[in-house]
This record gives sequence, structure tokens and C-alpha cells, in this order.
Amino acid sequence: MPMKICAVLRVVPDLVEEIEIEETEIVPFAYIANERDEHAVEEALILKEKAGGSVDVLGVVDEDTASDVDEPLAMAYAKGADNLIKAILSRKTFRRYEVAKGLAEFLKDKGYDVIFTGIQAIDAFAGTLGGMLARCMNLPYIGGVVEVDVQNGTLVVKKELGGGLLGEYRVSTPAILGVVSAERPLKFVPFAKLKKAMKEANIDEVDIEVPEIEGIDVLRYYEPPKPEITLLEGDPEELAEKLVEVLKEVSVL
Amino acid sequence: MDVGEMLETYFERLSEVSESERYKQCLQCGTCGGSCPYGIASPFTPRRMILALRAKLIDEILESGAQWLCTACYTCSYRCPSQIPLTDAIIPALRELSLLEGNPPEELAAALMNTARYGNPFRESPRKRDSWTKEVEFEVPLMSKKKEADVLFIPECFGAYHRRCREITKAFAEVMYLLGVDFAILGNEERCIGDLTRLCGEFGLFEDLMEKNIKTFEKYSFNRIVTHDAHAFNALKREYPKMGFEKEVLHHTQFLFENLDKLKDMFNELDYTVTYHDSCYVGRRNGIFEEPREVIKAIPGLRFVEMKRIRENALCCGGGGGGVWLDSFIRNFLKERPAEDRVREAASVGADVLVTACILDVPMFEDALKVTGLEGQLVVKDISELVLEAIR
Repeated sequence: MPMKICAVLRVVPDLVEEIEIEETEIVPFAYIANERDEHAVEEALILKEKAGGSVDVLGVVDEDTASDVDEPLAMAYAKGADNLIKAILSRKTFRRYEVAKGLAEFLKDKGYDVIFTGIQAIDAFAGTLGGMLARCMNLPYIGGVVEVDVQNGTLVVKKELGGGLLGEYRVSTPAILGVVSAERPLKFVPFAKLKKAMKEANIDEVDIEVPEIEGIDVLRYYEPPKPEITLLEGDPEELAEKLVEVLKEVSVL
Repeated sequence: MDVGEMLETYFERLSEVSESERYKQCLQCGTCGGSCPYGIASPFTPRRMILALRAKLIDEILESGAQWLCTACYTCSYRCPSQIPLTDAIIPALRELSLLEGNPPEELAAALMNTARYGNPFRESPRKRDSWTKEVEFEVPLMSKKKEADVLFIPECFGAYHRRCREITKAFAEVMYLLGVDFAILGNEERCIGDLTRLCGEFGLFEDLMEKNIKTFEKYSFNRIVTHDAHAFNALKREYPKMGFEKEVLHHTQFLFENLDKLKDMFNELDYTVTYHDSCYVGRRNGIFEEPREVIKAIPGLRFVEMKRIRENALCCGGGGGGVWLDSFIRNFLKERPAEDRVREAASVGADVLVTACILDVPMFEDALKVTGLEGQLVVKDISELVLEAIR
């Protein structure tokens, strides 16, 4: 059952580098691929190995981060992705629902059997893109995915239920799958192979108009206040007594 | 890749990095496997690898994982009667095939990807590479400000980022400062020198690192490079000249020896027993045996004892050739780490302090002290830490 597969690949601020937090925006020094989305791409490629078909990788960026997705897209190409698309969002706000609506508009007539997204991104902790996309496209969505199989022509998905439990679900296609972790470690791509892919890979660009919907506005961004740290000093017995007092104060004991 | 493609890729790489025909002269004598710290556990010793290559069973080697059971200690290459480049070519070229297949051991894969992205394997910001300089009480000059210096000091990744190894970097920098050496560092312009990427078969990345580093070197005027990182020393001395870089490169043991007359006037007495570990890329690979011993013996009050396996026959710490990133992988094959064996040996000759000269040794041996229960009985110090202690 050859499948037409799509994987969404976002870039997020690289937290290894400094980020500047201003009241109205967050200014990162550099962007990297969203790790959960890298797993979504990996799982998409695994599904292609199992079922046959093709994988399109849809890089989602803003105008100012447009070139930051080139390397992650080339990485996907080096691993076996068939088509690379760069979706450049034109938007005024950063509400996820609007982005989902914009992407849904683009994706709706592309005929994908399965669309993979990572379930989270460090700059979108609510992890809502997959679900919202499914709502906008009127498709089934299942998140927490750790494995995808094809059995008797239908999709069978393993989903993490928490507490170490897994559930197995049959999912009709077309569907949207939110991936936690691909079923194998991310494939390694040697430096020379990546550079070659960056030269050879053909990236199609599309502009995505993001609609404006009233609802939620950002008031301000800020760093959480630094916690006060008190160092307890003394010999072990004194320390134990002081620690007990502190724990009583904060109602732990 | 099918076996045919694997063999083609393999021999193409072999011909690029060494005399590719050498492997044909293998006598199957087994000296390599008998010398290898992992020989007893490896499904394919170097001898068996060559036998399998001749029989076109390259896929069986790769499936076994034996290509990752190598600390690049150079003992097999050193002893091979046919002088086959086992450490520099036969094994790294096999490792490259694993990388191309996309499935090297995970921790190692992460270290390599981080090196490609950040210029260090630790996933640290390149802009924090010089942060150790803020932890010393003297000024560490930057090349970007100073433009020229007699000595360019390369702390390399472990020396710049690893919590324990930074202490060694600070100690050696302080020794240079106290000696009045005209030195400077590249600071945040430095990136991984790359010897471990080469030995792991990431040849494309190694080439890129060399190109970028040489470009940075060319911006400044200096007479020579000094480094306390044995692998950086090895790559700068042996590999970088192939890309046109031709400056004198010294290991810090050589540099300390060169300054020994001056140091002797500064030495105070120390009162304990030390032994010296010949690190692979200081000793066996680059022939530096006497210099560190002379420096240690010149410190008054120290009692120097030798271990049984010394000089060319010294046992590896297990950290080289990517070994520092392969611990959990190698543990699947082997119960005792070479470092554990080595610290037991140091303790058995009555040493209070195990002196080393390769930056990977210190964390490897300190971990081994914890595992063997020798913590408290034996202390590990880099030779620059010992020297600083004696002149402070």
C-alpha cells in the first residue's frame, strides 16, 4: 500500500546559544530543527520503508528564518526524503491556530495519506499543531506516537499512554500523527553527505498566508525570576537540623 | 549499500588515507589482536578484519560492531611486522561505512553531530569556549586582540569545556604565565582540532575542521603551537601539514622540558610517590618518553616509580579514538575497562599520584578510581598540575 506521506519540520531557537528576551519578542542567536519534528521526519521515512510510497518534508518558517530550515531539509533529503517544500509564513501574530489554518489551506488538496508532526516544540509547549491541523482539515489525529505499522492495508499506531504504558490503535487514512519519538534513533548523516545534499537538494518554496483570528494576544515575554538560593553551613548534625527547619517552613515536613 | 558498494567505498577511502596495498601484506600473525586492549572481547580483531576483507565479508565485520571496539591506542600499528596502518586507516575506513549506513553508536553520533554544528562535541555554545579564562587570576591574552605571540596555545574541546579538564588548562596556562611566556589563545575562534573525528571515520568533518582552523591560524602571527591535548597535538603535527599547515607544534610535556632549567629554580619540594602513565599519542605514537619523566624527576622530594607496562607497551586509558563516547557500547562486550586495569596497576606499585599527559586520561582514570574503590588512595594529575603545584 504505497503511501503519500508528509512530515512537518519547524525550526526553533537553539538553546545552546544565547537568546535575548524582549517584552514583545524573543530574539534567538540561531535556529535549529525542532527535535520532535526530526523524529516525525524519521518516522515518516520508516513508514516509507515499510509501506512504500514517498515522503515530502514541509519546512515551516517565517521570512526571517527562511534560510534556517535549508540544512534540516537537506538532512531529510540525505536520509531519503523525496520532495522538499519550504512554506514561508506571512503572518502578523504568533497564534498556533492561525498557523494551523494557513497550513491546512495549503495541505488540503495535496492528497497526503499521512501527515506527521512532532508533538511538541520548545517554542510551542502546548504541542497543538497536529491536533489543530487535524481540526482544520477534518481528519483524525493521534498524538504520542512512537511506532507506525501497516497491517492488512491499514495503519496501526503505537501511542505512549504515560507511566510506561503503550496503546495500539487502528487509524484510518488520511490521518495526522503526532510523533514523540521515532522507533529507531535518528539516522546519522556524515558531514560530507550532508554538504552534498545541500548542493543537490531542490527546495520548492511556497508562501502561506496566515489568516488573522481574534482571540489571544501576547502581553509580554519575560524570564522567570531567579530563585533565591540559601547555602546551609555547619557540621552534618547542625546541617540536618537546619534542613529539617527549612523543610518545615515550606510545609514539606 | 550492498557488499560490492561497501568494498568499493572502503578501498577508495583506504587509498586516500594510506598506502592501500599494505593490507595485502598481512601475515595473519595475530600480533595485533594479542596487543589490543579489546582483543579478548572483539569478534573481529584487526587480523580477523583483514581476513574477512580478503574474503569479502565486510558486512559481517560491520554487523558485529567490532569496528567500534578500538580506542585507537596504536599498539597494533606499532607492533605490526608488516606496518599495516590499522589505527589510521583499516579501522577508521570501516567506521566510515557505519556512518554512511547511518547507525553508529548513539553517544558517538551525538558527539559528531555536535562537533559539526558547534565546533565541540559537548553541545556547548562556541561563544563560551574561552569561558575558562574568567576563572583565572591572570589575563589570558586573545589572538584577536594581540594579533601576534610567540606561542599559540590550543586548549581544544576537552580543555575548554570539560569541567575537570578545564582545571588542567588553567594549570598549564598559569605555568606559562609564571614562566613569562609570550602566549595567546584563539578563544571563541578556535574549534575542534578533530583528531577524534578522523579516527572515528568522519573524514568529511575532519577536513572541514582542518580547513576552518587553518584559515583562523593564518589570520595571526605566531611561531609555534603548544597544546596539552595529545590528540590535538597529533593531528596538528601529522595531519594538518597535509593541508599545507607547517608550523612547529609542541606537546606541553615537550614545552615543560624545554623550560626545565627555569622551572628547576622555581620548584619547591613535594613529598609523595608518583608514577607516570605514557599516554598513547604522547608516547607510542609520537615518541615522547623521556621529557615528561625528566620533568617529574626534577621536582625535589618526589619519589618516582615505574609501572610494569610503560613506554611503547603502556596500556591505553580507553578514551582515544572516540572511546570516550563509546563507553556504554563497549561495555556490552567487556566487563573491565582498560582504565580500571591501569589504575590498579598504578596503585600496585605504591604510587600516591598517577601523573598523565593526555587530557582524556584524567576523566577516564578518575572514573576508574570510583569503580575500583581506589578513590582516596590514588590521585590523578596532569603533569602541568604537578608542575604548578611544585612552583606555587
